[in-house]
Parts: sequence; structure tokens; C-alpha cells
Amino acid sequence: MRADVVVVGAGPAGLAAAVRLAEGGRQVRVVARGQGFTHWGAGAVDVLGRVGGERVERPLDAIDRLGDSHPYRLAGTGALRDGLDWFRDFAAAAGLDHVGDPERNRGQVTALGTLRPTCLVPAPAGGELRGQVAVLGFAGFRDFSAALCARGLERAGYQATAATVELPPWSHRRYFTAVELSRAFDDGDFRARLAPALAKAAAGADVAVVPAVLGLGRGHEPWAELERGAGLPLVEAALAPPSVPGLRLFTAWRRRLDELGVAWQLGFPATGVERDGDRVTAVRCEGASRPVVIRCDEVVLATGGVAGHGIEANRDGSLTEVVAGLPVAGFEDRTHFIAGRFLAAHPIGEAGVRVDGELRPAGDDGAPMLENLRCVGGLLAAHDPTMEGSREGVALATTARLTAVLGAADHADQDVSRR
Amino acid sequence: MTSLDTKVVVIGGGVTGVAVLRDLALRGIDAVLVERSDLGTGTSGRWHGLLHSGGRYAVRDEESARECIEENLVLRRIAPHTIEDLGGLFVLLPQDDPAYAEQFVVGCKAAGIPVEELTPGEARKREPLLAERIEAAYAVPDGGIDSWALIRSMVADASSRGARVLTRHPVVGFERDGDRLAAVRVRDLAGGEDVVIGCEWVVNAAGAWAGQVGALAGVPIEMIPGKGVMVVMASRYVRGVVNACRKPADGDIVVPQHEVAILGTTSVQVEDPDDVTVDPAEVDRMIDMCAQMVPSLARGRVLRAFAGSRPLYKPPQQAGEDTQDTRAVSRTFTVLDHAERDGLANLFSIVGGKLTTCRQMAEKLVDRLGERMGVTVPCTTAEVPLPGADHGVHTLAGPLATVEREGAYGTLICECELVTAGQVRQAVADGVVELEDLRRRLRLGYGPCQAAFCAWRAAAAVCERQLDTQVRAAASPAAQGGSHDADPLAGLARFVQERWRGQLTTVWGDQARQALLNHAIYRGIFDLAADQPDEAAAWRTGGIGRQGDGQAEDSRSEGLEREASERDDPAAEVGRGLIGDPDRTSAGTEPG
Repeated sequence: MRADVVVVGAGPAGLAAAVRLAEGGRQVRVVARGQGFTHWGAGAVDVLGRVGGERVERPLDAIDRLGDSHPYRLAGTGALRDGLDWFRDFAAAAGLDHVGDPERNRGQVTALGTLRPTCLVPAPAGGELRGQVAVLGFAGFRDFSAALCARGLERAGYQATAATVELPPWSHRRYFTAVELSRAFDDGDFRARLAPALAKAAAGADVAVVPAVLGLGRGHEPWAELERGAGLPLVEAALAPPSVPGLRLFTAWRRRLDELGVAWQLGFPATGVERDGDRVTAVRCEGASRPVVIRCDEVVLATGGVAGHGIEANRDGSLTEVVAGLPVAGFEDRTHFIAGRFLAAHPIGEAGVRVDGELRPAGDDGAPMLENLRCVGGLLAAHDPTMEGSREGVALATTARLTAVLGAADHADQDVSRR
Repeated sequence: MTSLDTKVVVIGGGVTGVAVLRDLALRGIDAVLVERSDLGTGTSGRWHGLLHSGGRYAVRDEESARECIEENLVLRRIAPHTIEDLGGLFVLLPQDDPAYAEQFVVGCKAAGIPVEELTPGEARKREPLLAERIEAAYAVPDGGIDSWALIRSMVADASSRGARVLTRHPVVGFERDGDRLAAVRVRDLAGGEDVVIGCEWVVNAAGAWAGQVGALAGVPIEMIPGKGVMVVMASRYVRGVVNACRKPADGDIVVPQHEVAILGTTSVQVEDPDDVTVDPAEVDRMIDMCAQMVPSLARGRVLRAFAGSRPLYKPPQQAGEDTQDTRAVSRTFTVLDHAERDGLANLFSIVGGKLTTCRQMAEKLVDRLGERMGVTVPCTTAEVPLPGADHGVHTLAGPLATVEREGAYGTLICECELVTAGQVRQAVADGVVELEDLRRRLRLGYGPCQAAFCAWRAAAAVCERQLDTQVRAAASPAAQGGSHDADPLAGLARFVQERWRGQLTTVWGDQARQALLNHAIYRGIFDLAADQPDEAAAWRTGGIGRQGDGQAEDSRSEGLEREASERDDPAAEVGRGLIGDPDRTSAGTEPG
């Protein structure tokens, strides 16, 4: 097996890298252990929500306050802007309009009635909460409680009421998940029957908050149509994983990879690399029945940090990068991995691989250790995607930088794909 | 201040106190139990869950061994629903002393413990994950027992017979009348005011905290809390209990319990029974030692580690005035009659002991008390089954069978432990508002995900229930004002922090990924933030092991205590003293 570029990992960074490089004319192959933070996140584009634990209003301005080796400092603000612009175009083309302004953070409402700091959100999560807010849950759906969400919104200073809406009959098993429910919303009849009940439950309110399950396979159309039918703005609240908005996006990524002729395999973890001096010549993977070796010119590691399984945290406090054995600074012992307060920042959250300006793993002297292996996204050292609220922003900024480095920087859809 | 009256006040809501309460109720003696936190939050909630066959005492302590096997059989009869009939093996490894195995068999026979020698092949057939090389194995009737289920059943039985239980009511003092205690003063932590309980007799069943209760009453009781560390694995590994066939030492037992396995244990004397810190080196040692018997534990996924304090009692060195203590029914637990011992006419303490023998301890104590009270009703606790006994023994698949029978998949709040919305609603209707208390009742948050998905669902159930109550109470402002109007997000933050405490020494490998996923959910997606205690700060400056919560603890009452102690309030000391409850281990240094 052979490819120009092997991208390892299928989270926001791996998917963006694969699409952008393929759009630039490279022949790309994606291998990944499993699904990434499209599924596990809030379904928004976090750029920089907090610095030093404090919420940030203007993410681009706050980049100056980050450390020198932070991925944003390495990639540059220009790369971040480029990544965000590219992403908005990509998502819009897939029917997934995003709203928001890179200059200013916004709050994304969650199932707990909190407003998490983020930057760009899908249009269904973009409505403004104002006046009287009706929080609407769906009977039988256990992963969203209107009462709890309304209580949280009240705590945050909103006027909120809670109600539960009966769903029209639909085909499901004795119980259903967010993903199954979201598929029901793809059906126009289902939506038409539900809309009057939503309108009734939200009577007198200025805006309604609903769980983020309004459709899966038809972009934002189900949400837009339901909003018209209900007669008031509907705002999707972020739920616990798996994220339906993230799945919508994942579907769009996959479709785009298929259009570009990029082969992608999930459940196909990379387990090692073959080297010739300071170059990687192949990636070894664990196939379904046998090891598979993919020869390549370039390798992009987008395997994530400890959370994404790009790095293994060992009992003795050391850390191991799992594909190429790249150096990762460990800790004195494992108790230093974490903080005593669960909701505080944990040191292993920002563990990662140090790279040079071209995203190549760097030794202690700062010189690149491998010529043709690059790291993007959560695998990079010196940022904590959860605490900072920077996961998608770092993915997009570093893949923009990657695209520039690998000479395939052209913006938008040129039909230059090749097999 | 309010007041009430009873015959007997029992201090301590662990298994011993609750067993005493039930025994009193069955003999028709009116009693009130007071507990500083929730039931089973002390030693009773911090142990490995072994229903002793007595095998662990067979070589050194025949009397303990005999008590264990007797009570093992009694509990199987009166409380089968709290027991999993696991069976146990004592495994002789090549490095162990074969002479010990011979003594073991002789000891078991002498104590009346059925013992069967298995060949290594038979043992591995029964326990496929045992080490390749074992010399011999001995099967004994060890079991698993759920102490919270036992406590709940005993309380339900006692309550149905008129006994009363006040949780979150620490003792703050006694009112004396000459050589008698006329009343026990407790503080209602929820309402804030004191309650004075007038009584004729007081039973100190505060376990490892018995010395602190004794101090309030002016009688010296020297307790030596014996800390034991336990490690929780993410799956069961073994079908039955696996013990090392050697003199009890660190890391010599694996107990499968519900969905997990618990490795035990250490034994370290500590000053303060509330010292439940865990040192990472202890966790490592536990895993490495137990892996000698079950090698795959070495690469296993570790969920948590926790520690409990054994209520070890040190009898006074001087015989003299304390000779009456030797009337104690057994070396393994001791009934102190403070009339004879200290001239305090109506106080008894019960110290030492272990969970398996809690019923017997209560029987002996109430026999002594009854003698003094002139009550001649005999003890029936060994014959009367507990409520729930008709369910038969607990099986691992039992909860799943219930969910299937009820078609309750769609209402599962905790998938790991199969907790349904109906169970949560019922508990909330019974007055539970703290997620921590739900955990002890329903095992919420115990599984591999460590509350990634259940805690916010449970918080929603509590919130919805409160909303219902408020709607109903809207016409009646007085009722509304009295309700506990908790902030659900603050309660959620407390719960996830409690889960975290147990993980401070166990985050690596798969559990590190789980921890960061949970962080990404609660902090990243839900943006949950709260002022939380920094467990690690004290640990790092103290230079010893960290807090490890396994099975219990109540952050809310801890918080209150901390506040109180900062104000230099004497009540703080008292509050700290009063999670009462003794439990399993005999006086001595033998672990588990």
C-alpha cells in the first residue's frame, strides 16, 4: 500500500488535514483507531475560551498572552484566521452554516443551562437567548432535562421555564439515543407533526432551547424548517457525547474525503513507523486480520493527546507517544499527571509533542528530529484543549500551517483531486 | 432547639450501630440512632466486601474464625439478598510456606470451617486467571456482602418496629445527671439547630471514632485506627474470592464485588480515623502482590483506590479497675460497661469486631444492656429474616434480569451499574437530595466511566423532583420554605469531585483517557465550574498518600466541619468524632 501522505487520526485535525492536503493535490490516506473529537466535543469551534482559567472575550487578542511554544504561537494568527475561514467555507458548502466572529467569543448553551465559551457555532446553536426563554425537552429522551437546563439558565440570570413535549409516534425501539432521535428529525412528516406541539409548549416565550438532536443527515434544514413551523427561534443546547452536531460535521468530512478520492479507514490504528535515517518511509497499522504497511512520502500525526490515545500515560509517570515513539516530557510520578480539583486544569491535559515552526518533532535543541513527519492538533505540547477551550481552533490553525508547509495551500475547491 | 425522648440512644450509623438498633427493636426497646453523616459512611462503607468464612483467621485466631463461620451462616439465612455466594480459594504459591497450608487446614477443621483441597488443575478450572504455577488451593465458603444493602435492610426492619434514625446529626455533647447521662445533644446539620434526646441508656457504637465519643462523655477509650488501603479494578477478574495461603499481609486478597474487583489491603496504625489518604506506592504494592496470584491484574485497568479505618481497640495495660472489660465475650470485639469501668452508670461502648460478626456483636451488647435494664426478652436477630430476604441471594446478573423484566433500558441513568430512573425517583421521593447518598443506595457512579454519564442524569432527576415538589407546595409557602432547595449544579460538582478523590493515585493508562474524557464532558462541554477542595494540596505538602475515596465520604458535612474548626468551635471536634461505626477487623494488626 502507498500514499503521498498518510494522515493518522480522524478527529478535527486529521480530517481537516486530509481534506486540505487532498484539495491541494496530494494523494492522501487516512488511518485512525476510531472516531475523534467531532463525536466527543460540543459540536462548536472553540478557539480560545480561557487563558489562565479566566474567560476570554477576544480570542485572537488573547493569543499574545500564551506561552511561546503554544501551537497558536507556532502556527501564527494568520494560520488561525486562514483555518477558520477555510472551515466556514467548507462547512457552509456542506449545508452546515456556522455563525460567530473570530474577534469575539460567544456563549453556547448546554444541557446544564450553562453558557460555555466558544467562537463559532453551527447556526442551530447560534440564536440569541433573550427575554423569556422556554426550555423544551422531549418525552422519553433521557439525555436532556428541561428542568435542569432551565434551572441552570436561571442561575445564569435568564428568565427560563421548563416544559416537556410529547414526540409524535416514530419508529424506535423501547429506548432511543440522541443519534436515533436525530434521525427521526430528518423526516419532514415527523417535524410537521411536532411543530405545533413545540409552538404550544413555548407559547409566550421569545426563544426556545431544545436538545441538539434536530436532524442528522440533512444539514441544518430540519432545524430551519422546524423553527419556521414552531414560530420562534430554536436554539440547540450542547449535550454529552456523542455530539449530534459533531456527527453532522463528521458526515460532511467523510463525504468530502470521498469526493476527493481519499481512502480512509477507521478501526485501523497506526502502531509504528519505518525509518530511513531522519525520514519516515512507511506507517505500520494494525489491520483487521494482519499488520499493514503503508509506504509514504509524508506522515501527519493527528492522534490527539492522552485523551485521544495519541499518548499513553504510564503508571510510572512517564508518557509514550504511541505511533512513532516521539519524545514526550513525562512527570516525576503519576500523581503529578493531575490536579486535586477535578474541574481544574490537569497537567496531562497539555502533555504533547514539541515541534519546530514546520510542525516537525523537535529535540531538546529545537532542531527537527524527522524531516517528513509532522504533528497537528491535540498531539501538540503546550496547550490544554479542554481547559483553554481551544481544541478545534488549534486543529484548524495547525492544519492551515501544515497545508502551507506542504505546499498545497490553495483555498477552497479546486478540482485537483487525484487518486 | 427541639427535644425528644427514648429509652436508648445508639451513636453511630455503621453496621454495628444499625445492628444494635435492630436488636433493640426486636426486643421491643425504644431506641434512636444518631449518625454524623449518612449511614455507612465510615468504615462500613470503606472495605472490600468480604463475608468471611473464617479462613483468614484459621491459623492464628480460632475464636475469630469460629465466630466468622457461625455468622457467615446466620447472615446467609437472614440476609441472603445482601450476599453473593462467591466461594473462596486460599492459594499456595511456590514462594509460600507449605507448613502454613497444613496449619490452615487443621485450623479450619478446628473452627468448623468446611475446607476442600483442590489440585492446581482443579483450582485453575475454577479460576482461569490464576497464576500458572500454584502448589495447592483450598476452597472455603467465603462470600461477598454489600454492607449498604445490609444496613438499609436492618434499618428498614428496625424502623418498621418503631426505631428512629437521625442522619447528619453529629453528637455535640451529653447532659449529665450525677453518674448518669441524662440526654444526648446532637446537631441537625440540615436545619442547623440542636436536638436534645433524653434517654435512659447510651450505646457508643462509633467504631474507630468511639474514643472521640468517649472523650465527650468523659471516659477514656483508646482506639487505634488501623488504616487499610484497597484498590478497585474495572472488572471482576475472578469468579470467587482469592486469598493468599500465608500469614495475612499486604495485598493478599481479591474480592469480586458487583461489577468490580477489590484488592486488599494494608494495615497501618494512624492517629486519626478520618485519615483515609492513599499513597501511590501502596496502590502499586497492592497490585503487584495480588498479581502474584492473578497475573493479569498487573496490566489491568484500575478505577480507584480508597482507605478505611479499622476500629481496633487497645485494652488498658493495667488490669486493676478495668478487669470487667475482660468479661467481653470475645477477644475479637469488646463490650465496655462504663458503669463498672468508669463509674458512668448508663453508657456502654462496643469496639473492635468486623462486619461479618456485626449481628453477634449487637446480640452480646444488648444481652448485657438488657441484663442491666431488666429486660428478659431473648435475642431473635439470628432467626428473623431481614426485609428483602425473600429475594434470595444476590447474583451478578440480578440487576440486569430486573432491567430486562421491566423493560427499563430506556430509563437507565447509570449504564455501568444498571440504575434506573425509577430507582432514582424513588430515592429522591424518600428525601435523598445529595447525589453522594444516591451513590451509596444505588451504586450510582461506581463503574468504569466513573460518573461520566450518570451524574448529570441523576442531577436532572433530583432537579425535576424538586420542581414537582415546588409546584405542589406553591400554595403552601411554609412547606416550600422548609424544602431543601439545593443548587443542582453545585451538587453535581460535589459528586464529581468525590469520584475524583478516589482516582488521585490511579490515573494512568485507560483510566487516564477516561479521566480526560470526563473532564472534557464536565469542564469542556458543560462548563461546570465550582470552588472545590484541592485534595492534592494537602497531600503534596504533607508528603504522604492522598485522599482516596472508595466507598464513602460526605463532602458536605466535611465542609461544615472544616468551617467549624476554623472558627475554633468545639463542636467541630465533636462532629469529626462522630461518624460512628465499627466494622470488620479484630483487635490486632491483621488486615482484612
